[in-house]
Amino acid sequence: MKKFLFFASLAAFIAIATACGRKSETGNCCKTAEAGQQPGSEISDQSIFLLESDWETYRNGRMTLADLSGKVTVGAMIFTHCPSACPRIVADIKNIESALSEDERKQVQFLLISMDPERDTPERMRQFAADHRLNDSWEMIRAGKDATMEIAQVLGVRIKPLDDGGFDHSNIIQILNREGEIAYQQQGLNVDPGECLKQIRLLLK
Amino acid sequence: MKKRIYCLLITALLLTIQLLHIPLSAQEGQTMVFIPAGSYLPLYSGNKTTKVPAFMIDRLPVTNADFGRFIADNPEWSRKNVKRLFADAGYLRHWKDDGTFAPGIAGSAVVNVSWFAARKYCECQGKRLPTTAEWERAAEAGRTRPDGRNEEGFYALILELISKPSFTHLPEAGTTLKNYYGVWDLIGVTWEWTWDFNSALSTGESRGNASLDNTLFCGGGSLQSGDTGNYAAFLRYAMRSSLKASNTVQSLGFRCAKDVAR
Repeated sequence: MKKFLFFASLAAFIAIATACGRKSETGNCCKTAEAGQQPGSEISDQSIFLLESDWETYRNGRMTLADLSGKVTVGAMIFTHCPSACPRIVADIKNIESALSEDERKQVQFLLISMDPERDTPERMRQFAADHRLNDSWEMIRAGKDATMEIAQVLGVRIKPLDDGGFDHSNIIQILNREGEIAYQQQGLNVDPGECLKQIRLLLK
Repeated sequence: MKKRIYCLLITALLLTIQLLHIPLSAQEGQTMVFIPAGSYLPLYSGNKTTKVPAFMIDRLPVTNADFGRFIADNPEWSRKNVKRLFADAGYLRHWKDDGTFAPGIAGSAVVNVSWFAARKYCECQGKRLPTTAEWERAAEAGRTRPDGRNEEGFYALILELISKPSFTHLPEAGTTLKNYYGVWDLIGVTWEWTWDFNSALSTGESRGNASLDNTLFCGGGSLQSGDTGNYAAFLRYAMRSSLKASNTVQSLGFRCAKDVAR
């Protein structure tokens, strides 16, 4: 009987100890993924609002991507040291902005996401915003290296770091619907804003 | 008699604690290998090498069994629950259902996984995906030398491996080619995700960006590459430049890497 008790307690002990060991091995990093599924926040399967990254804004604020919900978003990934392509893509988005009616503009926001978070400090982004005369319906944000890579992958943006600190990168204007789903992507620079406008108006209906 | 039982119990307790602790660190030593700091010659860099700091990399690709355990712990990454943003409809399509696969493939590299899933898997192991530079640096090793270019017959072997028709059943991980560092299956079994695979740009991508080399895959392009003999590296470059992070491909798996503790 005593022998049986001994083995039984030993077995129980090992079972418990192994279970604990396994837990510590996996860590608790995986819990974060579930945090986004709070009751009440029904996020679409394809929405970038599923990303939980934390962003710093050019006005020294903080935001998450879900804060973009409710409006149509027109955005792009850029970096402020970018010599030619990024100013052109900003100009393309401004063309879209100025073609919208006043009423339409109230339902649209503009977003620039830094692909160079190390150098694009809030001050630097503020300067860029001032240089390009971006109004209040524009937001410019940066995050850590991992979150920057994650959003680039979600948006299908290719980024190749160069020796001089710059990047080769895809030039894509991203149009997101109010739920944060990618509704349209326009590749290239100096493209006629017609198609983007058409897509935005479809989303505003 | 009672005393003896307590003694035994305490010994067992101590033994169990030991067993639990030693394997964790020793296992790590066995499953990952150290790759010393060095350099790697990217394609299309004009013979300019990239410095790669020392890192640790998994000896073996992540297997179906490994990935099954991950899903058991993280059901939001099962075939049924995964968000479309993070994996396309082909996610784990070679599995029988949500959590099971044919027993014969338990030890083979898991494929049909997206970049997001691979990244999450590594994160949950306290690891990360290797960078392209790290992956390529590990794969530059031959069987007997850290630099396969200097090893006789190694490039011929690579060609032979990658020109085989693709496997109907992937071999057990750790049974094909083991390189100088002790890393298995880097060439000829599956392609593997890297953290920054999207740094491979294809020409159409960057219209209007004058600095981009626009002769990537024609003859002129290949002559500009630093290492014209390594055909497998060309294929990897082409593969990476065609992928999106939510894609799942039946010949694409992954392994994890880690910084070296300083």
